[in-house]
Parts: sequence; structure tokens; C-alpha cells
Amino acid sequence: MNRFNLNDQKRPYRSITILIFVIVGCIFADLFIPYVPSYMNAAEISQAPSSNHLFGTDAMGRDIFSMIWYGGRLSLFIGLLATLISTALAILYGCASGLAGEKLDDCLMRFTEILMSVPQILLVIFIQAMFGDATAVSIAIVIGLTSWMAVAKMVRSEVKQIRNADYVLAARTMHGGFFYILWNHLMPNFMSAILFMIITNLGGAIALEATLSYLGVGLPIATVSWGSLMALSQKSMLSGSWWTLLIPGIFLVVTLICITQVGEYTRTRNRREQLL
Amino acid sequence: MINSRARTASYIWRKLGQFVLTLFALSLIVFFIARLTPGDPLRAFYGDAVERMGVEQLAAAKERLGLNDSLITQYINWFQNALHGDFGISFKYKQDVLSVIEQVYMNTLLLTTVCFVLIFILGLLLAIFCVRHEGRLVDRLICQIGVATNSIPEFFIALILIMIFAVNLGVLPSSGAYSVGQAGNLTDRLEHLVLPVLAIVISHLWYCAYLMRNKLSEEVRAEYVLLAKVKGLSQRRIIYTHCLKNIMPAVVSIMAIFLPHLLGGAYVIEMVFSFPGLGSLGFESAKYHDYNMLMVICLMTGVVVILTNMLAQVVNEKLDSRMAYEQVDFEEDSSLEGRVAHE
Repeated sequence: MNRFNLNDQKRPYRSITILIFVIVGCIFADLFIPYVPSYMNAAEISQAPSSNHLFGTDAMGRDIFSMIWYGGRLSLFIGLLATLISTALAILYGCASGLAGEKLDDCLMRFTEILMSVPQILLVIFIQAMFGDATAVSIAIVIGLTSWMAVAKMVRSEVKQIRNADYVLAARTMHGGFFYILWNHLMPNFMSAILFMIITNLGGAIALEATLSYLGVGLPIATVSWGSLMALSQKSMLSGSWWTLLIPGIFLVVTLICITQVGEYTRTRNRREQLL
Repeated sequence: MINSRARTASYIWRKLGQFVLTLFALSLIVFFIARLTPGDPLRAFYGDAVERMGVEQLAAAKERLGLNDSLITQYINWFQNALHGDFGISFKYKQDVLSVIEQVYMNTLLLTTVCFVLIFILGLLLAIFCVRHEGRLVDRLICQIGVATNSIPEFFIALILIMIFAVNLGVLPSSGAYSVGQAGNLTDRLEHLVLPVLAIVISHLWYCAYLMRNKLSEEVRAEYVLLAKVKGLSQRRIIYTHCLKNIMPAVVSIMAIFLPHLLGGAYVIEMVFSFPGLGSLGFESAKYHDYNMLMVICLMTGVVVILTNMLAQVVNEKLDSRMAYEQVDFEEDSSLEGRVAHE
């Protein structure tokens, strides 16, 4: 069906370049940011962008340019850790379900369906509220624990298709263990199919952390991430300082759109390979 | 005649049984999430007061909350109370959980229903528009917007809308469900509804339309469409009278799968606009670790989603009677879910 999507033949070079730029900038932020991100300068509250403060300052007198690069680290870290956890869980769960007998498989899939019927954000705040106050790691774990279901379903349907292939049966007859077969025979087969979901999961995790921190149920304002950076922006926006909202927001949105573009590219490429 | 009535009855019973079973499983999951996470329920219930309690007070508090019983007994007790409509007391509001929810759930219901209907109608119209102009700039633009908006967090879209319409233009209110003292004023209420609805529709419509467009664009390549063309039917006629009917089951599935994401998005938007509803209640409760309240909100949302999914299934079986006998194509279903699942 690919010939109907007109834009998917191109590799998303633009998105990849922007992503690399953002990632490198965040990692090496210490080398070039002009202010200490957490430093609150009471004399320079809510200043518009100028040569002194490239992106202006927020309502607490912090330099937004410094905070964006510094906070990006935390946001990307949370996204990566959450994706790692959800992917590992999804692969284990999906394989177990795909290889299990019909009854157990049915039960496991019902379980994921029920979990999916509650919106992810609600599950996250529910579990996080039980955990106690949020830290970067706890948020990543909770996001990871609540975003594996869709990937697991995909893994299961892929595994179901290849579980009876000759090479899997051969490995089984030679007493290949669950993890041996999973790693050597199953994973190489379904990784390309779930890659796009993993990439979109990464974007989803970053967006979710930003949403939570923005709403005040994620990271505290003192811990700088892209979400908590914007937590104060609604009030300052009403008083006219648009830069506290727009500049971090555009950073976040551009990153997310680039991740989605890369994800879309892997999806269409995978479909093309399957058709060929 | 009797036979068909008996069949209908058994059909309804089967669906009802499925629903009760799913509901039971959902309550089990929600309960065990609340109890198995490493947090301390005592702390969640009494807050920082726990630190000031003596040993005896702690023991008494534990006894009162029934924390000394086994998990199974705790669940049975909780479930029995829940059946009587007693979901415990909200720690933050110091009231019965249901009586707090009673005050706000209608707002959420109104907001999400309006958005759901709007997205359904507009999405379908956009999809038809795209397919009629397939490959042209408009079509590509809408598809690109669909993919992009799907990755933009809702709160950002809502903030942009507030900035444009409430701060710069000053034409619409930016928070609440009604102005102070205007609770009975219908136009005032509607005015407060405009921005939240707009925010939800903008963040979900395009992707929905994109999914529907892809379905429709596959459909217009079917052979019967070629036959219809050869017969000399106009494109409009083909799409409206033939293709739409055939993609309806898929559209219904898309909307059903979309619902949890729509609800999650609506909750966030409610919070941004301080719109009194289940969502803002949920986030406020999360700030205070009010887990009784969160449990009920999770349960209610889950029930609504499960009900809608079953309704969609029934509608699909009515639309396409093959579905009642065949298993739905699982692979296609899950890939669709995977694509919708990421906001």
C-alpha cells in the first residue's frame, strides 16, 4: 500500500539531524550554558529574550536557555529508561503469551486489554501516587510499567506466526531454553516489526513526563526537565511573558515530531519489506 | 420465532457475563495495584500524620483500615463495600468518594461526549475529503498534520489556544466551567466549553481522520469500485453509497480503540482549564496521594471504555453479520491498536 503514501521513500534526514543536534546539545550542556540552571536571580524575574538571556528568564529568575539544555537531559533520560523497561516487559510478556497454550494465551491477552481500557495517564498518576513523591527514576519506571501493552500484543501476534517454524522447532528439540530461543530465533524476526512502536513509545514517554510535570503531579519544579520548566508558564503567560511557554514548548514539540517522523519512517520501511 | 428470541436472549446473557467478568478483573487489577506497590497505604490514607502517631495509634489505624488481614480478605471486604456503593472516604476532601464524584462527573460526560461526536463526524468528513483529493497538497498536508499532532502533548495545544483566544484576543474565558455566580447561565457555560472542546478536538481529530482516510483509500481500490466506475457512477455516489457502508465497521473500531486516549487527553485538558471534572479531580487527588479517589476514577473510566468497546462490537456485528461468527482479524486489530496507542 506504500505507493499511496507519497512522503515515505525519503529517509528523514532532517529529523535525524535535529535529533542529533538536540541530544548532543543536552549531553554537552555544561560546556556552553551561560548560567547555572537552578540559580534563581531575584533581580531578573520574567525578562524578555535579550542578548543577556538568550531565551529570557522565567518567573523565578532562572535562565531559560540554560534550563532547556540542562533539563533536556532529564527528559531524554526518562524517555529512554521508560522505553527500555516497557520494551523488555513487552518482549517477555508477548513471547510468553505467544508461546503459551490457548487458554493461558487468552487470559494474558484479556489482561492486557483490561489494562488498556484505563487511560495510561490515569494509571501513571495512580501508581505514582501509591509510590509516594516522584523522582526521575520512579517516573520512568511507572511510565515503563504502563506502556508495554500495545507492543506486547504486537510481539505476541508475531511470535504466534513463527512459533511453529522449522528452525524454532529444531531449536526446541535440541533443548534450547526459553531465553535462548527468544534471543536467537524470535527477536531477530519481530524486532523490525515492533521498532516503530518502540520509537513512538520513546516520544510518548517524553511527552507523558512533560505533561505530568507540567500539571504538577510529576517532577517537582526545582528538578529541571522540559515539563517542570513549563509548569510555571501558564501563570506567567497570563501576565504576558509568552517566552516562558513558547520556547521550551517548541523545543519539546520539535523533538517529539522528529521522533515521530523517524518512527513513521521505520514503520513504512518495514511494511515495504514485508510486501517485497 | 421462539428460536430467534432464545438466541437473542442467550446473546444478551453472554455479553452480560463477559461484561461482569471483565469488570471483576478490572476491580481486581486496580485493587492490587493499590496494595502491591511499595508505597504505604497507611501513609496514603493519613498523610504525614503517620509520623506523629505512637505505636498503639499505628496499630489501631492499621486495624481500622483492615491492613492486618490477608490481601484476599481485604479485597473481598473492599469488593463487598463497593457493591453497596461504598468506596471509602476521600482523604483530601474528608467525604465519601462517590459524593465528591457526583458533583463533577456530568461535566466530564458532557465534555467528552461533545468531543467524541465532533471527532467522529469531522474525522469522517475529513477522511472523505482527503480521499477525494488523494495525493494532492491538501491531502498530504492533513496526513502530515495527523502524524504531527499525534505527538504533541495536549497541554501544549491547550496553552497555545489560551494564549491566542483568552490572553491576546480576550474573547473566551480560560478557566472553569462557568463564571462566578453564573452557574445557571447557559450561554456562559457554553462559552466556557468552547476552548476545552477545541483543544481536545484539535489534538485528536487529525490523527483519527488520518486512520479513517487510510481505510477509505484502501477501500476505493476494491474491485467493486472499479465496476461501479465502469457503470458510470460518480465518485461522490460511489464513496457515499458503497465505500462508506463497507468501512463503517473499521471506523467504529477506530473510534472504540480511540476512546481511552481521548479520555486521557480530556482529563489533561480539564486540568489545564481548571474545568471541574473527573480529570482535574484525579490530578488533584494524585497530588495528595488520595488513592481511594484515584481507584474509583480508574474504575469508572475503565467501565466506560469497556462498555463502549462492547457496544462497538455489537454495532459491528449488526453492521456486518460475518463478524458474529468469525474471529476479528487479530493481527490487523493489534497493529491498529499499536498505532493509536501512542499519543
